[in-house]
Amino acid sequence: MSASILSRTALRASSSVVRPTAVRTLASVATSQSAPAEKKANIKKFEIYRWNPDTPEKKPFMQTYELDLNQTGPMVLDALIRLKNEVDPTLTFRRSCREGICGSCAMNIQGSNTLACLCRIDTSSSAPVKIYPLPHTYIVKDLVPDLTQFYKQYKSIKPYLQRKTATEDGKENRQSIADRKKLDGLYECILCACCATSCPSYWWNSSDYLGPAVLLQSYRWIADSRDEFKAERKMALENEMSLYRCHTIMNCAKTCPKGLNPGQAIANVNPLTSPYL
Amino acid sequence: MFSNTTFRTASRLSSRQVSPLLKSTSVRATSSSFPAQTRSAGTTSENVTQDQAHSILAAQRKLRPISPHLSIYQPQLTWYLSILNRITGVALSGGIYVFALAYLAAPTFGLHLESATIAAAFGSLPVAAKVGIKAAVALPFTFHSWNGIRHLLWDTGKALDIKGVYRTGYVVLGLTTLSTVYLAFM
Amino acid sequence: MASAFRTSALRTAASAFKTCARPALAAPKIAFLKPQPRIAAFHTSKSLSILPPGRQVIEGTINDAAPVPESNPSHGSYHWTFERLVSVGLIPLTIAPFALGSVSPVTDAVLGAAVVIHSYIGFESSIIDYIPGRKHPTAKKVFMWILKGSTVLVLVGLYEFETNDVGITEAVKRVWKA
Repeated sequence: MSASILSRTALRASSSVVRPTAVRTLASVATSQSAPAEKKANIKKFEIYRWNPDTPEKKPFMQTYELDLNQTGPMVLDALIRLKNEVDPTLTFRRSCREGICGSCAMNIQGSNTLACLCRIDTSSSAPVKIYPLPHTYIVKDLVPDLTQFYKQYKSIKPYLQRKTATEDGKENRQSIADRKKLDGLYECILCACCATSCPSYWWNSSDYLGPAVLLQSYRWIADSRDEFKAERKMALENEMSLYRCHTIMNCAKTCPKGLNPGQAIANVNPLTSPYL
Repeated sequence: MFSNTTFRTASRLSSRQVSPLLKSTSVRATSSSFPAQTRSAGTTSENVTQDQAHSILAAQRKLRPISPHLSIYQPQLTWYLSILNRITGVALSGGIYVFALAYLAAPTFGLHLESATIAAAFGSLPVAAKVGIKAAVALPFTFHSWNGIRHLLWDTGKALDIKGVYRTGYVVLGLTTLSTVYLAFM
Repeated sequence: MASAFRTSALRTAASAFKTCARPALAAPKIAFLKPQPRIAAFHTSKSLSILPPGRQVIEGTINDAAPVPESNPSHGSYHWTFERLVSVGLIPLTIAPFALGSVSPVTDAVLGAAVVIHSYIGFESSIIDYIPGRKHPTAKKVFMWILKGSTVLVLVGLYEFETNDVGITEAVKRVWKA
């Protein structure tokens, strides 16, 4: 990112300042070589899904870009940002933290859903990197999916602590270390929607099936010892579609960029299989 | 539909009325080293009510394409074995349904579907055809049965991590091959 | 929090971290990038046997929670448990006649009925998955009634086969060994 700002200022300054051809950084040592040998450009192709809502009649298409990997950061997000800054400013995608915690840059890279900021560009192969938006989602533009239904479904499971009684001493809702351990593998979900959009059941029934992410969060609240609405939460899942469209396909666990296991959480909602209930 | 460059602010998240933005004036950024932010010519913004914004958004939503799914998703053991389980199940059950309905309808249409007739017809086929047909029937049956046991194992909560899914998946494929060969040559 | 670091760190630490060779004060070379975006026609995904998704329709705003359907355990956990019981029961019912040799008409009939129930549950699940009731209510109803009708006929056919013929396991044995 900083390189592009430098390049822009350098561009503006170049008309008045003679551009140096070889610059020695502070830490370098004088050698007999006149200039450092240039690294051979390592060109990598990126095939990216494009669609523009300003020209909606034009069908979505794949656009190929080329980048020199020697000048690009290691992650796919680095490549996307460089493409947007220096090649095609119209390329549109979501991004924020660049460290795998916000969930904005979730997209389908080389066939599986992951976070672009955590997905390393494959430098060993010469095959192009194929980047698609999250599968079976309505596209706002390019790689940006509409996750409205996903968020509405998340809200429907009431993802907050619900109590019927006050605590004994009127202070915090206390929880033992063992009970807190039950939430490991559940609370870390960043709601990136990688798992839900990898599930074929969710593809065919996004409006009624809640999907792995929301069901994992539903179990997170069922398993929370401080929550007193366990029965109501489970009763909300007692219908044909919300939970029971899960056929244990397990694409969700395979694709989760945070290493969580929604399939296991869904199985744990069932009292017969749950180790905790 | 959007050839006129009127930018409308259809905010998804606002629950209050959309306020009008600055109309075609350039906003200077405070830092002088960055290029000044301006709005290019030909764009305006206008005041819309909550309902208008919602209907604009609904109109935009109608035009959106669906991102590709089956054609681009990475082939994986997870969903390949799952769809194979469904395909084999539907094929086997479909076959049973067709046979049972045909057996019921046989007298009406003059068909002979008694077990003796079928056995005799099958027996008269060459050995290669018999083995082939038996393998073609045994394959979906054994795969569905072994994968069914894998599903029941999952329903007890076991082997639900990725390692377990892949291990049991390969075991099912191996057992399917062995049992198909055994049944075909039996 | 530690587990988040562990899992993501494990994933990102699979290979050694490559630092970019970016000289801090060297003249940035814009020319190395030749913008040559190629545009290829995109093959829209095949619809296969899955019905097309249709246009995006969201009921209400993003701040309205998705509706929670009416709770009915007979469509929920009871159905799930029943489905599993039938599946588990099929295992001994299928193996026993072939392993033990002898077949009684009662066990044979139970096997036949269990297979038909298991098939019905499987077909019903497929119909619910691939013909969403929200978008295609009549098509789903039609297919469900076709399924129910044919299942009844199949049970009748099974009964006929059981009484007039040798029974399922015996028939399979005879054809297999023919």
